[in-house]
Parts: sequence; structure tokens; C-alpha cells
Amino acid sequence: MEVLSNNNLYCSAALAGLFNVFDPEIGLNVVDLGLIYRIDFNDNDKTIVVTMTLTTQFCPMGESITADVQQAVSSAFKDYQVSISLVFDPAWSPELISPEGQKFLDR
Amino acid sequence: MFAASSDSGLQQTTSYRVVLPFYIFAAISFLVACILLLINTDSVHLHYFHPHTLAITHLMALGWGTMIILGASHQLLPVLIEGKLASYPLAYLSFILASLGIPLLVTGFYLFDTGLILQSGAILVNASVICYFLNVITSIGDSKKYTVHAWFMATAALWLFSTTFFGLILVFNFSRIWLPENSIEYLSVHAHMGLAGWFLLLVLGVASRLIPMFLISKYDSPKTLWWIFVLINSGLLGFILLKTFVVDKSFYYAPFTLVFIALLLFIFYCYKAYKIRIRKHVDEQMKISLISVAMLLLPMITLLTVIYFISENSKSNLILLYGFCIFFGWITALIMGMTFKTLPFIVWNKVYHTRAIGKTPTPKELFSEPLFRIMALLYLGGFFLFLGGIISLNDMLLKSGALSLAASAFVYVWNVAITIFHKPAR
Repeated sequence: MEVLSNNNLYCSAALAGLFNVFDPEIGLNVVDLGLIYRIDFNDNDKTIVVTMTLTTQFCPMGESITADVQQAVSSAFKDYQVSISLVFDPAWSPELISPEGQKFLDR
Repeated sequence: MFAASSDSGLQQTTSYRVVLPFYIFAAISFLVACILLLINTDSVHLHYFHPHTLAITHLMALGWGTMIILGASHQLLPVLIEGKLASYPLAYLSFILASLGIPLLVTGFYLFDTGLILQSGAILVNASVICYFLNVITSIGDSKKYTVHAWFMATAALWLFSTTFFGLILVFNFSRIWLPENSIEYLSVHAHMGLAGWFLLLVLGVASRLIPMFLISKYDSPKTLWWIFVLINSGLLGFILLKTFVVDKSFYYAPFTLVFIALLLFIFYCYKAYKIRIRKHVDEQMKISLISVAMLLLPMITLLTVIYFISENSKSNLILLYGFCIFFGWITALIMGMTFKTLPFIVWNKVYHTRAIGKTPTPKELFSEPLFRIMALLYLGGFFLFLGGIISLNDMLLKSGALSLAASAFVYVWNVAITIFHKPAR
């Protein structure tokens, strides 16, 4: 799934960091898993909002994955305040897995 | 486009402090039960109502099966009922009461001291189960989501209480006659309340959620699960009514058929989930859990034989075979697989949840996979050797099977210890 953003250049930099954040059970990064829906940048107040989901609202690793996402984006944008907006509507479904992710799971 | 949650959106999982004691107690119980089996293999030649057999059975049913399922269900309750655990103090109390009650109960059976030891053990176990039952019911009530999984959990907890309460009556019936007949006459009702009502219902309810989740499968069929739920409960209630009011044993085929159809439906459910899984690689823990589903058929075949030969006097070792296939077969295989699927998550969350990005191991790296394979081989070898020993009444097979099972239990405890005492690399 394509990650939506109001700044495609910044978004690429954020995604580069997010490719290193993995779902510990599945072993796939959160971008290819389709957990990241949107990343919005606000240059005026130096804030970034990552809109994301989890495979299930009751994911036992949820706290850890969101913390990792926040830290990955913060590392790429040191002057910005990063916040996570966790949403479950629309809910995650396997169709959101990217073709690269699917290849990884096919192994 | 994206609907924000009213709160953080993240459902709190149950603390590891609640769950780990149950896992530790269960692991030790399994090892002790296997050692008792090894030093009491001659009990197989005797009637199944033998103190040592009763002690091993209750240690396997309560100390091993029930304790680990209680621990896992406290952890998985939020996933299954889409809410959170209502009370931590009740969960702690449930553990404390059970961990005091089970050793007393098992010792009472082993020494066949039907007085204070056995009675106090049974009372404590019942008190523990009441705490668990109240916690499950309150959690479901608070979540207000009455899904099929929630019904499985609540009904299984109710059957557990029915089993232990009936067990308590049977224990007191040893020293003072409360019931019209001897306690031995009620054993099959007591046992099947626990086996079908508690273990089967809870395991199927939990597995129907976890198996598709771990396989990353889109398959979901609440209608099938409702049918399974109704069939098992009808079968069990039918059996209790038949046992109470009908003398003709040929009627027992009816409840057997209902439960058997439920099992076939569940196997079909697992097959569908497996078939359309997104993740192609199936790990060792999932494999042994899926094998355990197929292993359910073994006790069913044995039960069918028991019903067929029910008028024969020589059915004692068939009943032992049936019990062995359930406790050392289906339940043990399932627990062995699921322990190393759930425990590493619990420990990983304990050790790494505050450590954001960086070099962190994955949960499956928290236990030893080679040890897991050794354990699985020792277990499968031991199970089939002992099974052959019960059928042929061959001491050599019984001893070597029990030895292999004890070795697998030792490796299991070792691997559980590796996981629980995991420390992050400096």
C-alpha cells in the first residue's frame, strides 16, 4: 500500500528509517506489512504525525512497535516532534502487504 | 479517511507478573508428573482407580494442563474478548490458591489420604477456580463484546467450576457417603466435564483465534465456531443426562457423535485457515500445535472402543489408554507448541517493550530451537512407546516410553528457564 503524505520528499526519508522497524513475530518491516497509512509534516511548528495501524488492536507487541516507529522517524528528523496516531478504521488486512512483503512471506 | 481512536487506541495486555507464575508451576508439574509416571509404570497393569494413577492424572490435568491454560488465558483474554482483564488481584489469588491446593490434592491421592490433605486441596482448588471464573465473567461483562470466543471462554470457565465442584463432592464422598453410589461410579461424568467442557471448549475457542492469527490467514467463520460450541455442549449435557437417567449404554454413541462432528468441523476450520495462509513458512511450534489437533482423533477412537466394549471387564487398560492419549497426547502436544509461541512474547514484552529501535532479538530467538526439536522428538518417541506399552502391557515399552517422556519434560523445563531468564545482550 502506498503511504500518503503532504511532503513526498520528507516522506521518503521517514520511510527509509521505518524500513528498519520490524514486526517481531512476522519478521517483516512495518512499511511492507502495510501498517503505515500516512505521514504528515508541519514545518511551521516542527511536528510530524504518523498515522498507522496494527495487525490487531489487541496486538501484544503494539506498544513496542509504535515506540519503534516513533523513534525511527525521530532519528531521521531530529528537530521535529513526532507523534503517533493509531487508527483501526480502516482495519489492517493482508491485502495491505506490499508485493515485496508478500515475496518475503512466500519464502 | 482515517478514524482516530478516542484513547491511545492500544489495548493493554495483561502483565507478565500475572502470567509467568502459572507457566513456571505448570512446567514443574509436568516434570514431576513424568517422573511419577516413570516410577509407577506398573500401575498400568492395575485398575485405573489406583491412587498413583489418580495422582498422576490430577497432576497432569490441574498442575500441567489447567495451570498453563489459566496462565495463557489470562494473557490472551484481551485478544479473545476484545477487552481487558478485570482484576489482577483475583488472578494472583487464583494462582496462590491453586499452587497450594494442587500439591495437597495430588499428595492426598498418591498417599490415598482421603481426609484432611485431599479435602483441603480440593477446597483450595475450588476457591482458585471461583476467582478465575469471576475474573472471566467480569472481564467479558466489562468489554460488552459477546463474541463466539467470549462464549467459549465463559462456558469453559463454568464447566471448569462444575468439574472441580463435583470433584469436591466426590472427595468428601470418600469419607462420608453423600451420593447414592460409590465415587468411582461418577468418575466418567467428572472426567468428561473437565475434558470436553473445560479443556476441549477452551482450547478450541483459543486455538480458533490463534491459529489463523499466527498463520496470518484471512479465514474466519463464526458460524462454524458456533456449531462447534453447540455440538460440544449438547454432547456433554447429553452424556451427563444419559449417565444419570439411562441404563442402556448403547445411547452413548449419540453424545460421542456430536462431539466427533464438532472435532471434524474444527479440523476443517484449521485446514481452511492453513490453506489460505499468507505466511507460507510454518514454524516448529505451529507444526506441533497442528499435529496436536490431529492427535485429538486418537482418544476419540479409543473412546469409541471403550463404548463398544463397555460391558467387558477387561476395559481398564483401554480407559488408561484413553486418558493417556488425552493428557500426554493431545493436551501435552498442544501445550508444548503453544508455550514457545506465547511465552517468548510475554518475556520479550517484559524485557524489550521499553527499548525502542535497535538491535533486539525477535521473540523466537528467546528460546533454543535445537532444544525444542530435541524435546519434540523425545516427546513423540516417548508418547508412542508408552502407547504401545499400554496396549501390549509390555514393561520394556512402558519404561522406555516413560523415560523418553521424562527426558522431554526435562528439556521442556530447561527451555522454559532459558526463555524466562533471558537477559538482553550488553
